[in-house]
Amino acid sequence: MMLLQSNMALGLKEQIQGISADIAWLAPEITLVITAVLLLIYDLIFKENKSVGLAAIAFVGLAFSLVLLIASWGNVEGDRILMGGMIRLDGAAIYLKALFSIGGMIGLVMMLRSKQKEKFFKSSETLLLFFSLVLGTFLMAMAINFLMVYVAIELVSICSYVLTGLFKSKRNSEAAMKYLLFGAVASAVMIYGMSWLYGFTGTLDFTSNAFVEGVSQVAILPLSLALIMTIGGFVFKLGAFPFHIWSPDVYEASPTPIVAIFSSLPKLAALAILFRFVANLDITIIDWQLWLGIIAIASMTVGNFSAIWQKDVKRMLAYSSIAHAGFLLVGVLAFSESGSTSALFYGSIYLLMNFGAFFLVQLFENNEGKTSFDVFKGMGSKVPYLGVLILIVMISLTGLPPMAGFNAKLYIFSSLWESWQTEGSSILIWVLIFGLLNTVVSLFFYLKIPYYMFFKTRKEAENPVTESLTDKILGTILVAPLLLLFFKSDWLLNVLNSINFAL
Amino acid sequence: MIENLLTYIIFTPLLGALVVLLLPQSKTSSFKWVALVALGVTLVLSVLAVTSFDATVEGLTNSEEQLQLVDKAEWFSVELGSLGKFSVDYFVGVDGLNLSLLLLAAIVLFIGAISSFGIKQKQKGYFGLYLLLSTSVLGCFVALDFFLFYLFFEFMLLPMYFLIGIWGGPKREYAAIKFFLYTLVGSILILIVMIGLYNSVYDPVKTGLEAGVIENVSEASPDMISSIQYAVQAGQMESENIVKSFNMISMADDANYLPDSFLGKNSYGEIFGQSARWIAFLALLIGFAIKLPAFPFHTWLPDAHVEAPTAVSVVLAGILLKIGGYGIIRTAFSFFPDSAFHYSWLIGFFGLFSILYGAMNALAQKDLKRLIAYSSVSHMGFVLLGLAAMTVEGVTGAIYQMFSHGLISSMLFLLVGVLYDRTHDRGIENYGGLASKMPKFTILITIAFFASLGLPGFSGFIAELMVFIGAFKSSTVIGAIPYWMPVVATLGLVLGAGYYLWTLQRMFFGKFWVKDKAWRETLVDLNAREYVMLVPLVILIIWFGIYPATLLDLINNSVEGFTQLLILSVE
Repeated sequence: MMLLQSNMALGLKEQIQGISADIAWLAPEITLVITAVLLLIYDLIFKENKSVGLAAIAFVGLAFSLVLLIASWGNVEGDRILMGGMIRLDGAAIYLKALFSIGGMIGLVMMLRSKQKEKFFKSSETLLLFFSLVLGTFLMAMAINFLMVYVAIELVSICSYVLTGLFKSKRNSEAAMKYLLFGAVASAVMIYGMSWLYGFTGTLDFTSNAFVEGVSQVAILPLSLALIMTIGGFVFKLGAFPFHIWSPDVYEASPTPIVAIFSSLPKLAALAILFRFVANLDITIIDWQLWLGIIAIASMTVGNFSAIWQKDVKRMLAYSSIAHAGFLLVGVLAFSESGSTSALFYGSIYLLMNFGAFFLVQLFENNEGKTSFDVFKGMGSKVPYLGVLILIVMISLTGLPPMAGFNAKLYIFSSLWESWQTEGSSILIWVLIFGLLNTVVSLFFYLKIPYYMFFKTRKEAENPVTESLTDKILGTILVAPLLLLFFKSDWLLNVLNSINFAL
Repeated sequence: MIENLLTYIIFTPLLGALVVLLLPQSKTSSFKWVALVALGVTLVLSVLAVTSFDATVEGLTNSEEQLQLVDKAEWFSVELGSLGKFSVDYFVGVDGLNLSLLLLAAIVLFIGAISSFGIKQKQKGYFGLYLLLSTSVLGCFVALDFFLFYLFFEFMLLPMYFLIGIWGGPKREYAAIKFFLYTLVGSILILIVMIGLYNSVYDPVKTGLEAGVIENVSEASPDMISSIQYAVQAGQMESENIVKSFNMISMADDANYLPDSFLGKNSYGEIFGQSARWIAFLALLIGFAIKLPAFPFHTWLPDAHVEAPTAVSVVLAGILLKIGGYGIIRTAFSFFPDSAFHYSWLIGFFGLFSILYGAMNALAQKDLKRLIAYSSVSHMGFVLLGLAAMTVEGVTGAIYQMFSHGLISSMLFLLVGVLYDRTHDRGIENYGGLASKMPKFTILITIAFFASLGLPGFSGFIAELMVFIGAFKSSTVIGAIPYWMPVVATLGLVLGAGYYLWTLQRMFFGKFWVKDKAWRETLVDLNAREYVMLVPLVILIIWFGIYPATLLDLINNSVEGFTQLLILSVE
C-alpha cells in the first residue's frame, strides 16, 4: 500500500504509532462503527418488536457522535493531517460531519414516521447500511488522498445501491440496477483518472506539493483528460449535470427517507472533496473555473427546466436537487474565503429545506401511497398547518425572502460577485446571471404543490391526511430554522466564519 | 408625536394578521372587522405621520439629516474576515419622496378593506393575507435599507399570488402565476444590482466606529463623516474595518462607494464592455418598470386586474404600481443619477410609448376592467415621462401623478366592482343607458372618468400639467428629453378623453338596455357601504385638484433635493 511520500521514510513501527495516536481524533467515526455493531448484536439477541430498540440505539449513536463532534470543535487548531496523510481534520470537516449527524437523525425520524416503518426496522440490515453510508460521508468530508476518496465514495455508493433496492419491488430493483450501472461506470472512470494523475505526479495526496508541482509539468491535453475523468466521479456523487441522469429514477423509486438522505448527505460530502481537490489546481494551468462554471450553469438550467414537466413530486424534487447542486458549485467557483463560507451556509440550509420537503411529502405519501401532485389537491383547507409548512419550504427552496433560502442564495452570489470583481473572469458573471434568472424558473414548479393544495379542490379523499400533533411538531422543528435563519442569518454565518477552511 | 411611529404603521396590520390567525375559524364575521380596525389604526397613524412631518427641512436625497420619523437599529451584521464586515439595519424613515405614497397606501388599504366586506368564502385566509399584504406594502414605502426594502418588495408577491389565485375570476390561476413570474423577473434584476451595490458601498459612520475613529454614533458630525470618507477614498482605511452596507441613503452618495468597487462613479467597472453603472441602472429600471408597468413589460397587468377580486384590483392599481415608480426614484435615479441622465431619452421614450400604447389599447377593450387596466398603463407612462424630464416640475408631477392615480384608479376599480357585484359581467357592449337605471352610480363614474382623463378641478389635471411643464422645460434646463416628447404625449390626453367619453356614451347614455333580462332586477343603485368607500375618494380627488398645495408643500423640498442630486451629477 502506497502511503504519503514523507511517510515512506518512516518505519512500520512509527507508522503504526502515528496511526494509533490519531485514533482519538476519529472518535465520532468509531462511535458510528460501534453503534452499527451494537445494532447487529441487538438484532441477534432480540426476536420480537425490535423497532423501538433499534431506533433508540441508532439515534443515541448519532447523537453521541454529534456531541463528540461539537466537543472537538474548539480542539482542532488549524488543520490536522491524520492516518498517515489519508485524511485531514479541519473546522469544515467537523462542521460537515456534525451536519451529517443531524441529517442522519432527521432521516431516522423520517423512517420512524414512515408508513413502511416495519420494513425499515424489520432487522438491523437497513440501519447497518444507513450507518455505513453516514460513515462514508464522514470520511468523504475529510479525505485528501485519492485512495481514501475512492474508498469513502465507494462505501457511500455501495450502501446507496442496496438501500435503493431495499424493498425489492420491481421499481425498486430497476432503479437500484440503474444506479449500480451508472455508479460503477462513474467509479471506474474516476479511478482511471486518478491513476493517470498518480502517474503524472507520483503521489496520491492531492494536497501535497509534489502533486501541485507534478500537475504543472504535464501537457495540457492528458492533464485535462485525467481531470475530467476524476472530477466526473465527484460530479456524479454531487448529482450535477451531466452525470445527473440517474437521480430522478432513483429518487422516484426509493423509499422517501432514503431519498432525503441521498439528496443531501452524499451531495455535500462530494462538494467537500471537490473543494479540496480544485483548491490545489493552479488556475493558470488549467481553467477549472470555466469547467465548473459551465457545469453549474448547465445543472441549474437543466435541473430547473426538467423539473417543470414532472408529474411526481419526488421526481420534481430530484430535478430540483440537480439544480441545487449547481448552486452549491457556485461556492466552489467563487474560490475564496467567503465562497467556502457561503457554500457551507447554502449546504446547511439546503439540507434543512430538503429534509423538510421530503418529510412533509412523506406525510402525504403515507396516506395515499403515491407522490403524484394529485395527492395534494385541495389539501390546503383540510390540513392548513401542513400546507403553510410546505409553502414555507417551497418558498425557501425557490430562494425568496423571508426564508433562509434567500440568504443562502444572496451570500453565495455575493461571494461570486466579489470574486468576479477581483478576477474579472467573465464565466463568473454568466453564472451569476443564469443562477439568479433560474430562480424564476424554479418558482414555477416549487409553487406547484401549494398551488395544488390551495387552488385546486376535490370532493373527497379516500384517506384524507390528518394533522397529527407529532407530525406538526416535527414539521415545525424542521421548518422553523428556515424562518429563523432568515432573520438572524448572522448566527450561523458567524459560526461558519470562524471555521478555518484549509484550502 | 409618537415614538417609533413608522414602525407602528408597518406592523399594526401584521398584528391584525396574527389576531386573524388566532381567532377560531367559526368566527366568520369577525375577521373583516379585525382587518378594518387594524387598517383604520394604520390610517390614523399615517395621517399623524403626515401632520408631524416638517416640510421646511431641506437637503439632498443622499443625506440622512433630511429624513424624518427615522427608526434605525442594527438588524444583523456578519464578519467577513479580512474583507471587513457587512451590516443590515432595520432602517425606516420618510422624506417628501415617500411620505405622500405612505399616506396613499394607508388610504387605499383602508378603503380596500371596506370593499372586501363583500368576500364571502374563506374569510379567514382572505383577511389574513390582505393584512400581510398591507404590512409589506407599507414597509416597502418607508424602508431605507435595501435588504429590508427587498424583503417587503418580495414578500408582497406571495399574499398577492394567493389573493388573486384563490379569490379571483375564472382564469385566476393563470393570472396569478403570470403576475408572480413577471414581477419575480424584475425582482431578480433588482437583486443582482443589490448584490453589486452592497459589495461596493460602505457605511461611513459604522466604518468610523469599527476603526475606532469615533466612539458612538452621536459623534458622527458631517465633518467627521467626510473625513472618514476621505480616508476610505484615499485607501488609508484598513480593509478589515470597512463596514459594507445596504443603506439606501448611503448608496446615493458617490463618496460612499469603495475606491476599487465596480459600481463606484470613478471606478469605471465594465460589464460586457459597457459601464457597470449603466448596466446596473438599466437592471433596476427594468426591474421596477415591470412593476410600474411600462411598455413592453405591462402584459401581466390586464390579466391580473381582470381576474383579481375588486379589493385586490384596487390595491394593485392604487398602490402596488406606485412601488414601481417609487423604486425608480429611490433606487435607480438616486444611486445612478449620471446613468439616469445618460438614458433619459430612452426612459422618456418608453414613458411616451406607454402613454400612447396604453391609451390605444384601452380604446379597443370590450371589458370595462381591462379598459381601466390599460388606462393605468397609459397614466403610469406620465410618471416615466416626468422622471425622464429630470426637472423639479417633472419629478413633482410624477409623484403627484402616482398619488392622484392611486386615488382615481381605486375609485374606478371600486365602481367596476359595484357593477360586477350586481351582474357578474363587465362587458361594455352588454349595457346601455345605465344612467336612467342607476343615476347616482352614473354620476360617480362620470366624476371618476373625468378625473382620470385629466379635467381641471381634479387631481389628475394638476399631475399631468406638472409633468407637461417639467417635460417642456427639460430641454432648456437640463437637456434630458427633447421638446417633441411632451408634444406627442398630449395625444395621450386626447385618446384618454376618447375612450372614457365613448364608454360613457355606450354604457350610460341612451335608452336603458342590458344583455340579460335578469339584470334588470339586480341593477340597483349604490348602497351605503359603497357610498362609504366612494365618497371620501371623490372628496380627496377634488381636494387635491383644487388645492394641490396640500401635497406640493410637503414634497417640494425633497423633490428639489432630489433634482439637485441629478443636476450635480450631470455637471
